[in-house]
Amino acid sequence: MLFLAPVMAVLGAVAVFPIAYSLYISFFSIKLTRPNRTPFVGLKNYTDLLGDEAFWGAVWRTVSFSLVSVTAIAFIALLVSLLLNQEFRGRRILSTILLVPWAIPYVANALMWKWIYDSSYGALNGLLYQLDFIDKYMVWLGDQDKTLFLIANAFVWKEVPLATILLLVSLKSIPSDLYAAARVDGATVWQRFVHVTLPAMKPGFMLVMIYETMMAIRHFDLFFILTEGGPGSASHVLSWHIYVETFRNLSFGSGAAMSYLLAIATFALSYLFIRTLGRKI
Amino acid sequence: MPITPPVDTIDYRRRQKIGRIVQRLVIVVSAIVLAAYILAPVSWLVSSAFQTETEIVSIPPHWIPEEPTLRNFEAIFTAGNDEPVTYETRSGADPAAGDFIPSTAENLLPSMANSLIVSILVVILNLLVGVPAAYAIAKIRFWGRNASVYFILITRVIPDIALVVPFFLVIRKLGMLDTLGSLVITYLAITVPFTVFILIQYFEGLPDELDKAARVDGCSRLQALIKVFLPLSLPSLVAVVLFTFLTSWNEFLLALMFTQTSASQTLPILLASFTSDFTVSFSFLNAAGVLAVVPPVIVAIVFERYIVSGLTAGAVKG
Amino acid sequence: MLKDKTRRLGRRDFLRYSAAGAGALMAPGLVRPAKAETAALTMHTWSAAVDTVQSHLSAFTKETGIPVNYGNSPWAQYREGMVAKFVGGAPLDAMWVSDSWLPEWAEAGWIAPVDEFDSLMKYNAEAEDFCTDSMTYGGRQYGLTYYTDYMAFFYDEAKLKEAGFDAPPETWDELVEQSLVMKEKGIADYPMMLAMAQESWLIEFISTLVYSHGGRLVDDNGMAVMQDPKEGAVEALSWVVDAVNKHEIVSPACVETGELAGLKSFAAGNHAFAMVAKYRLRMLNDPEQSQIAGNVKQAMMPQGPNGSHATVGWMRFHGMSAQAAQDKARAENAAKLIEWFGGKADGAYTFQKLLFLDIGAGFGVKPLFEDPEIRAAYDSYGDVDMIQAQQALARKKDTVTPWFGEWNDTNGSAWQSAILGNVDPAGAVKKSADLWNELKDSY
Repeated sequence: MLFLAPVMAVLGAVAVFPIAYSLYISFFSIKLTRPNRTPFVGLKNYTDLLGDEAFWGAVWRTVSFSLVSVTAIAFIALLVSLLLNQEFRGRRILSTILLVPWAIPYVANALMWKWIYDSSYGALNGLLYQLDFIDKYMVWLGDQDKTLFLIANAFVWKEVPLATILLLVSLKSIPSDLYAAARVDGATVWQRFVHVTLPAMKPGFMLVMIYETMMAIRHFDLFFILTEGGPGSASHVLSWHIYVETFRNLSFGSGAAMSYLLAIATFALSYLFIRTLGRKI
Repeated sequence: MPITPPVDTIDYRRRQKIGRIVQRLVIVVSAIVLAAYILAPVSWLVSSAFQTETEIVSIPPHWIPEEPTLRNFEAIFTAGNDEPVTYETRSGADPAAGDFIPSTAENLLPSMANSLIVSILVVILNLLVGVPAAYAIAKIRFWGRNASVYFILITRVIPDIALVVPFFLVIRKLGMLDTLGSLVITYLAITVPFTVFILIQYFEGLPDELDKAARVDGCSRLQALIKVFLPLSLPSLVAVVLFTFLTSWNEFLLALMFTQTSASQTLPILLASFTSDFTVSFSFLNAAGVLAVVPPVIVAIVFERYIVSGLTAGAVKG
Repeated sequence: MLKDKTRRLGRRDFLRYSAAGAGALMAPGLVRPAKAETAALTMHTWSAAVDTVQSHLSAFTKETGIPVNYGNSPWAQYREGMVAKFVGGAPLDAMWVSDSWLPEWAEAGWIAPVDEFDSLMKYNAEAEDFCTDSMTYGGRQYGLTYYTDYMAFFYDEAKLKEAGFDAPPETWDELVEQSLVMKEKGIADYPMMLAMAQESWLIEFISTLVYSHGGRLVDDNGMAVMQDPKEGAVEALSWVVDAVNKHEIVSPACVETGELAGLKSFAAGNHAFAMVAKYRLRMLNDPEQSQIAGNVKQAMMPQGPNGSHATVGWMRFHGMSAQAAQDKARAENAAKLIEWFGGKADGAYTFQKLLFLDIGAGFGVKPLFEDPEIRAAYDSYGDVDMIQAQQALARKKDTVTPWFGEWNDTNGSAWQSAILGNVDPAGAVKKSADLWNELKDSY
């Protein structure tokens, strides 16, 4: 297929080797501080992980982070895309504003939220205090029951624009005569929404779910800049665990094994979304 | 419930009217809520970018700067000369001036230029490579079609952290360490799968008859794609442009690993480096963050009309 | 020819090129320029004192004719970035190394000893022993000092007076008493600033607390002793836990407060006492950056019941990559570069002096203490005698081993867990000690 050739060439040249390489080293015990001892250990890196408490702790934190953020992103993006699909004055301005969070690099986004959440001079405390919602400054990121949700909030804020755009694009693909036909049939607003709009948004939802799930379960930058996995291990998610294992503990083998487990989970979820929401593929 | 016809029509009209008012109200309220949700954090970022280093940590915060200053922006826009830095021209030469703004401030604009070059190239390459692939998968029946979809998906499920070292080896083999090219190639690899996905979904929504009609009229596949599909796919193409541009603009980990000198460092790397000097200025960081948003927002302003108010597929009769 | 020119003209030209159009976009930067005539050295550092380094590099190239490709990346990600560069085989000759990473990088074969270069070793005579020690691993010396500093105790004199005290606390218990009075009088909600967030500074804060409580984390044989109640660690952690949860003199937000955020909070006047790097004194007394400028004074580190005024010191050095060491000519040039920075350039310790004058970072060579310019600078914002007295009590981290990086994250999270009340101090420290011994056994 000539049309597919360029994509396959790019992915083949750049992506296949790294993927094979990671798989290969995941079967070895590689500790960079012991360069002369790198035995082949087969599946041991994988089986060790399955019995590792810290690994499972990280898995659960990743699951709750992803669940909360993906749900929030999908829900908010749905509302926003429906809003922007209406005709009203100021819509152009609003849709430009919408893209601002997306345009802030993750590093700047993380620094901005760190700055807002700061418990001694942060804007969040300042605002809540001035509005009399709190009578003394609260601890935010340092409170282990709140950390994960606060990071999720920063993540959602940043990801909603992309999700909205993807949904808007599928809203645009609804032929307008479909609505007309529905109206002629006497369908109420709600019925039109359920029977015409929602089904048409399915492919958009599929993209949103695949992409945002992928991003959420692998998200790294915010954890790195906001908490480094702390306080305690409250935000020690899987992607952070992999980073620490690979680049701090210098255990490249088991780091790669974890990455592969994460990859399999990501693939399984994506497959699920494709099967349930996808059109033909 | 039996109601007499005249009452029903009046009631119906009134209900319609009330309905329209309610609808407007809902739209206005939700538009305001949305704008506030998005703008609140950003406006604090902007406000603090104009504050002095001592004012910025006031309790409670000064929402509007009391003694606004432009020094952060001056540091960024004051272009140095191209001469190498010497003892005399180094920024720390005059400690009495309390010059605590990072000495790399003047690298911010060049790093933005780097980011811009990379992002634009990634966008162009994505379209060139992604459009034909998506068209083929969506509209041409061929053996291995599903397999190609899953292959493309698989290249994206491995976390980037695991890809850093092997990517590095590839880049070194290509002799592209510390170049913008290394970023263009790797960003293309991480964005193109999703580009293809976005486009497939859209192309599949377009009626197959279009393709057939075009072919009957004597178009080649390529002509059908360019003349018939692309003009109808504007919203999805714009989504791809925004997605690839912003992904490249935002990317941090790979840029951190592959770039070394200011010749290839992109904006996120420079932003992170501002936090690590001996002297750190929070207000300066915020100023840099504000500037980081400007180019993508310009891109957004140029393109948003095609998504939000642009051509709808309603024009296409199936 | 053209490419070579592009490289020298520098970054700003990118702007011009990019303005020139898409064709020009392709020219610079996308591919690596052809190698220059004289083999250039590659030096990589974290993004600190960038201008000072650049000025000193310009002088180096002028003096020796050796061009240097200078790269830098953010401190927080520096170690991980370097790991990728080493493993990926990026060209590299000289780089900055933290004392914490020396055993790890040496074991991995990434950096090479420099003790065969007499031109470098001659500086040991005038260097602080602390520095030379910290650059030595397995009996070999790996570089020359970039800067050295230690953890200092600062107080806000105005707040102290307001609370009715004449002198800063001598002991940690006294600090609690003074803090409680300040809370009572409404002078500060959390009088003591302690930054206990997960970051690279955390081990230095922890070590200081343990040392001043008269303890150690690890003994001379490399065995963990932190779990021993007599060794100060449990006592130190208990002090922190009480300070946060019982006396409420340290903010419960300390587990999210990094060194930098804590420093800014202290500079904003929220606290009366703080533990931060000594070089921060200059910033704290600069009215442009600090609301308590002029009031910040240094005191000896408070001591625990069985402790002393001991504190932790650290140093960073200029090291040579193993790949440079393998090539004789390259190694010679790299050694020249290291000498230019860590030793004398043109007969003087130019770089260490510049670094101190520009940003206040401590130097590792004794003669500079006698330099009139340096004394004058110190006098303008600090007390030289106090600075020297505390420096004499600075000890290096006892946890620096090849497995330090692997243990450090878990240790930090164990201390945080105790502060959060998830586990008692003894349990937290024991968990950390167990991991230490397990790692030690595996080496």
